[in-house]
Amino acid sequence: MKVGAFYNPHLGAELVRGEGIDHLAMADPPASNDPHWPAIKSRYTLLLHDYLGQLSEPLDERSIQRARALALQYGTPWVAEHFQCLHTEDGRYNVNYVFPPLYTEEFLRRFVINANALQARLDQPLVMENIPGFFDVKASQMPEPLWLRRFFDETALGFLLDLPHVWLEAHYRGLKPEAWLAEFPLERVVELHVAGVEEDEDLQGPWIAPSEPSDEMLDFMAHTVARCPRAQAVTFDAFSPSLRSEVLFRSVERIRRAL
Amino acid sequence: MNDRALQDLVLRALADAPFRASPAWRQRALADPSRLERFARFLARHFYYERIVHFFKYSRTLSRVSGRTPEAVLRTTAFESLLPTLVLGSRDSAAAVANVVAAHMSNGRLGGIPYLPDLLRYEKAMMVAEAGPRVWRETGNEEGSIGKGTSPELVEGTVLLDLSYDLPAVLPKLLAPWTEVPRCPERPTKVLIARSRHGRVAVARADGAVAAVIELADGRMTLEDLARQAGLRPAELEATLAGLTELGAVRFATGS
Repeated sequence: MKVGAFYNPHLGAELVRGEGIDHLAMADPPASNDPHWPAIKSRYTLLLHDYLGQLSEPLDERSIQRARALALQYGTPWVAEHFQCLHTEDGRYNVNYVFPPLYTEEFLRRFVINANALQARLDQPLVMENIPGFFDVKASQMPEPLWLRRFFDETALGFLLDLPHVWLEAHYRGLKPEAWLAEFPLERVVELHVAGVEEDEDLQGPWIAPSEPSDEMLDFMAHTVARCPRAQAVTFDAFSPSLRSEVLFRSVERIRRAL
Repeated sequence: MNDRALQDLVLRALADAPFRASPAWRQRALADPSRLERFARFLARHFYYERIVHFFKYSRTLSRVSGRTPEAVLRTTAFESLLPTLVLGSRDSAAAVANVVAAHMSNGRLGGIPYLPDLLRYEKAMMVAEAGPRVWRETGNEEGSIGKGTSPELVEGTVLLDLSYDLPAVLPKLLAPWTEVPRCPERPTKVLIARSRHGRVAVARADGAVAAVIELADGRMTLEDLARQAGLRPAELEATLAGLTELGAVRFATGS
């Protein structure tokens, strides 16, 4: 199992020198003036994890060419996108943060068609990441895990399982994370994300944070990985200017030990 | 209403605080109002955190002198009082938040930073220019084709700033390591701020030709009239318009 992190440009110097990291996920393209990028690129396996577009609509040619160019630039083994729908069709409203679609037949059809169309234009496998909901929308027609299972049944895509997202949803539903996880299509998981959660003042509860995963989260990860026969990589999912170098390296080390 | 339209309604409720408070939204009872409000406030703070840190990055580097960081406003009563009015992505909301940030930064220790008022005006203008609807995906029906005989017009959000200091000369120095506050030459300077249809903000120094075209491009004036009134030769006008179109400052009205 490969263990990696996100490329945080402000930690470029430490990542160039550091040990114990197998891969780096790229949330943004490298800045043209990033002095560490050449060394990072030559040293690490890079995973494309940018915002490519929301697959509730077909990606336009410009976005597809951008995805292809980034995939080529990184030499990524797979391309990641999210189960998200964060801006309105007319472009007027945009929440600028990952936000899930309604779990309905219509959205299932949209995501299956558009993800298959994107996969057909990529030279690498496409993997899709689950997104947490903080509240249920009454218009949804099925639970998220069933919607995801049906999506993967109708595509040949891989699953990027974000474990803190599962943990948070279980928390806000008053369920044990392991029980909520059991409904997800774990046999399709290619990569897992692990991170810390912290109390958020606005949400009045825990949410994803650029912090170390707790021991509970690492136990949850070990429990999950044992049930994901195709999983190839675990990534410490923290991408923030406030992330400190020691948090990144210690988290990766603790993930490796817990596996 | 199909599911995509319902999703848009939920997204609008999260982004648009007045809509969220309206009977039109509340009567639908699509989500727990308390949870939705908490998440919307979380999103608003996240939305403006990203923009404040990005657009006020120059004044942020002065924080060890001024004693103030721009993002600190997100936990002030001034920002809290804006929350019920904010529409994420709107120009009015961007301007309201940018004004709060600029006021906060102006109240710091300002000795040795005579160009700070100009800098804050510039940063505010950048943040406001970035706001507004954007094209997320090309549908092939977009406006803006350039053809002979069409009339250039200013794109909404384009701003020509008159500054007392030559800010473009000091901006890169602010981002580089420094021990003494970088100095900025005091000389009148015009900068043009524009945004592409995809939301990318660009800045350029503006010369007399640019300033004249920006003032005159109203979507009705022909290229010949524009050249005559701006006092430009056709080749000069063509080069100026090409640059302004590239920046996203000007588009060509196709006429009726």
